[in-house]
Amino acid sequence: MSLPATATLVVILVTLPLAAATLLFASGRQPRTLTLAAALLLTFAALALGGNVYLEGVSVHAIGGWAAPLGIHWQVTPAGTVMLVATALVGLAGAVYGAGYFLHRPGPDGRMARVFMPLWLFAWGGLNALFVAADLFNLYVALEVLTLASVALVALSARRMALQAAMRYLLAGLFGSVIYLLGVALLYGQYGVLDFATLTAMLDPEDPGSRAGAVALTVGLLIKAAIFPLHFWLPGAHGRAEPPVSAMLSGLVVAAAFYLLLRLWFGPLAEMLSFGVGVLFGALGAGALFWGGMLALLQRRLKMLVAYSTVSQFGFAMLVFPLAGGDHRGTVFVGGTLLLANHALAKAALFLAAGTLVRASGSDRIGTLVGFAGRAHWAWLAVILASAALIGMPPTLGFSAKWLLLQAAVADGAWVWLGVMLGGTLLTFAYLGRLLELALLDPAPGPSPPPPLTAALLLPALLLALLACLAGLWAMDVEAIARLESGT
Amino acid sequence: MSLPPGTLFLLAAALLFAIGAHGLVTCRHLLRKVLALNVTTTGVFLLLVTLGRSGTGVDPVPHAMVLTGIVVALSTTAVALGLIVRLERRQP
Amino acid sequence: MPAVEMLFDALLLLCMVVLAWQGVHARNMFRAVVSFMMFGLLTAVAWVRLEAPDIALAEASLGAGLTGVLLLATLGRLAPERRRPRPRQAMTLTVLPWLALGLAGTWVLLAVTLALPAPGLGEAVFAAMPEAGVDSPVTAVLLNFRAWDTLLEIAVMLLAVIGLWSLGQDVLASPSTLPAPSLPALVRLLFPLFLLSTFYLLWRGGHGPGGAFPAGALLAAGLVLALLAGARVPRRMTGAPMRWALGAGLLTFLIVAVGVMGYGEAFFAYPPEHASLLIAVVEIAAGLSIGVMLTALFLGGEPTDSRSERR
Repeated sequence: MSLPATATLVVILVTLPLAAATLLFASGRQPRTLTLAAALLLTFAALALGGNVYLEGVSVHAIGGWAAPLGIHWQVTPAGTVMLVATALVGLAGAVYGAGYFLHRPGPDGRMARVFMPLWLFAWGGLNALFVAADLFNLYVALEVLTLASVALVALSARRMALQAAMRYLLAGLFGSVIYLLGVALLYGQYGVLDFATLTAMLDPEDPGSRAGAVALTVGLLIKAAIFPLHFWLPGAHGRAEPPVSAMLSGLVVAAAFYLLLRLWFGPLAEMLSFGVGVLFGALGAGALFWGGMLALLQRRLKMLVAYSTVSQFGFAMLVFPLAGGDHRGTVFVGGTLLLANHALAKAALFLAAGTLVRASGSDRIGTLVGFAGRAHWAWLAVILASAALIGMPPTLGFSAKWLLLQAAVADGAWVWLGVMLGGTLLTFAYLGRLLELALLDPAPGPSPPPPLTAALLLPALLLALLACLAGLWAMDVEAIARLESGT
Repeated sequence: MSLPPGTLFLLAAALLFAIGAHGLVTCRHLLRKVLALNVTTTGVFLLLVTLGRSGTGVDPVPHAMVLTGIVVALSTTAVALGLIVRLERRQP
Repeated sequence: MPAVEMLFDALLLLCMVVLAWQGVHARNMFRAVVSFMMFGLLTAVAWVRLEAPDIALAEASLGAGLTGVLLLATLGRLAPERRRPRPRQAMTLTVLPWLALGLAGTWVLLAVTLALPAPGLGEAVFAAMPEAGVDSPVTAVLLNFRAWDTLLEIAVMLLAVIGLWSLGQDVLASPSTLPAPSLPALVRLLFPLFLLSTFYLLWRGGHGPGGAFPAGALLAAGLVLALLAGARVPRRMTGAPMRWALGAGLLTFLIVAVGVMGYGEAFFAYPPEHASLLIAVVEIAAGLSIGVMLTALFLGGEPTDSRSERR
């Protein structure tokens, strides 16, 4: 059996979500089987694309047949495909979870249940468009699709706290976009091109205007990726949103901005990644790792703890930049990508399980969470597996990712960054362990009778967490890593 | 004295960007923040078109980008204003 | 450059900067909004000076016009601003770093221009124009060379409408926003003109400045004016018909983009012999949808009547 052509799969991935969302909105109906069929189709397309890229490597597609630099190009890379697959898995899990979750919590006159799926699909489409784009301005528009869909999703419950968080998120997100656009303008003014391949060939790393452009692109994306100290908007937005929304925002939307940062600094801007720049990025990362970790330790609410853990985990991801200067650039890039994928799956699982536990307990204070009682133990199992992946215990994907980065650090003798990584891992262990300790050693009785926990609320989180663990086995294969590296 | 063409526009673009960014950080009222953000955006648009012009002849690509940007800015402004009105109504 | 033009530009830009400052910091919020609208109009003039008539049209109608109406309508819904007096010194202290930033930014921009010549994509665009299917280079970029951007942008707009609707019912459109007794009659007189101009701009988009965005904006201006004059969205138009009209632009765009693959072409690659027709179809659908979407953005929420029908 031969797989459909890569180009066809990419077209499905970027257009089907938009078309399905528009149809759902326009028809005003919520045919659950059809939306789930669309989600399944998208997941299969992403997996098939993964197979193609594994066999064929990088491919470039000119939209409209217009050659560079006139037209827009899609560039399907191994790293981008890893993110597309992670998006599909989280997207599918969230769609199933959302169908179950909003069934019992439809919101005022059923609005939440009605609007969730179109917005979810728009965000999914925006993510897919972003992971294949190789054009500075097209990325700007894709980022705006993503921002607007995310803001609307945060505001879904229309509670005051959620609206406040959404407003702050919107302002921060738009400010980030404007600064990014400033960078695009500066680079376009200098080189007159937008597509990555031509830009990479033309870029002069010594030119002050290009440097200013690179700074603007980076600052804009740092705001969007909520990298310390620009993370101020994240905990509220992720902690106050509905659980499936938090899962997508924390797992994927932040990761998308960070992935772009990786893409730029390992692609067109690679020659500007000097030792000093790397150290600066690493310092920001270390700050995020410890600041986010400390605040996560201090949280009393489950979802806020998970949200601060996102701030901390992206600090970890920032450490790829100082390590990229050595001889192991490819390994570091793959490690960074796998770290993002691991975080996407594990964090989404954690937020989904947290939503289930909050529903089972009737409150999200950590001290009042139910223990292993009833079916809640499935949610706890997901929490434990996801925590293992986030901490990076073998054989999870988190372990493989961190192992690659550790190898590079040891080989280059980057002992400082090695220490930061180990310290960060310990901190992650501490705050996730505190969660488990509080809830499992001293569980609250929970409301009686306990609210029903359907399979839709339990299985998605469990499966995502399992995948995060099992994918580590695949990522230990040297062959697989080599194929991933071929894209850099 | 002869300035290179577009210098004045570049100067204005930078000033607008700075005014907007400053307003976004210092203003407390949300509506003012939204206005400031729009001023910032206009600064970037001016920069984009001015830079696109100083080459040989008029380059239509920045024009198309700014047209796209104006529509995006309007859409996001509308959402921000909707949020502001809802927030005001839920004032404790 | 002639000294007179230089002087004009300098004055124009000076006014813009002052109005922008006023728009952010004017003591009274109403004055701030009006300053911002005037700033938008002057920006449109600046676009003309930069030889960008397409942008000038969009800026005047969307950037200044519709945004202004939206801002005023929002202002009417908000309680007066509570201002906390701030010590003078603290104010200058916060301004200083931003002033430094502005100067640094200016310096950078000047450095960039001095390092020109910027090549730009102008030549590539003009070389490809014979196969573009339209005569206007900007329309060619928007709907052919970089049509994928435009499609995503229409998705952004639809997303804004859906996002606003998810917040609740319409809050902005109240019949008595403008106390002008002669307005309803005037609007009735003007409305056909608005429709006519909309189609004129749609048709013109293929040759010169115009096209889907200004046309949609004009249509929206007519509709919004009608709403301000006290018209209500007709009961049978809310609900399904309105939602389909909102989604039609994006759907048509998607169908055309994917449909050309049936000819064995790449995504969005219009077959040359049909390019003009396909672009016209997309332009008309997008223009009408944009008009409805802008009106929906002005309404600020789901029209009240459509709820009962959905049950």
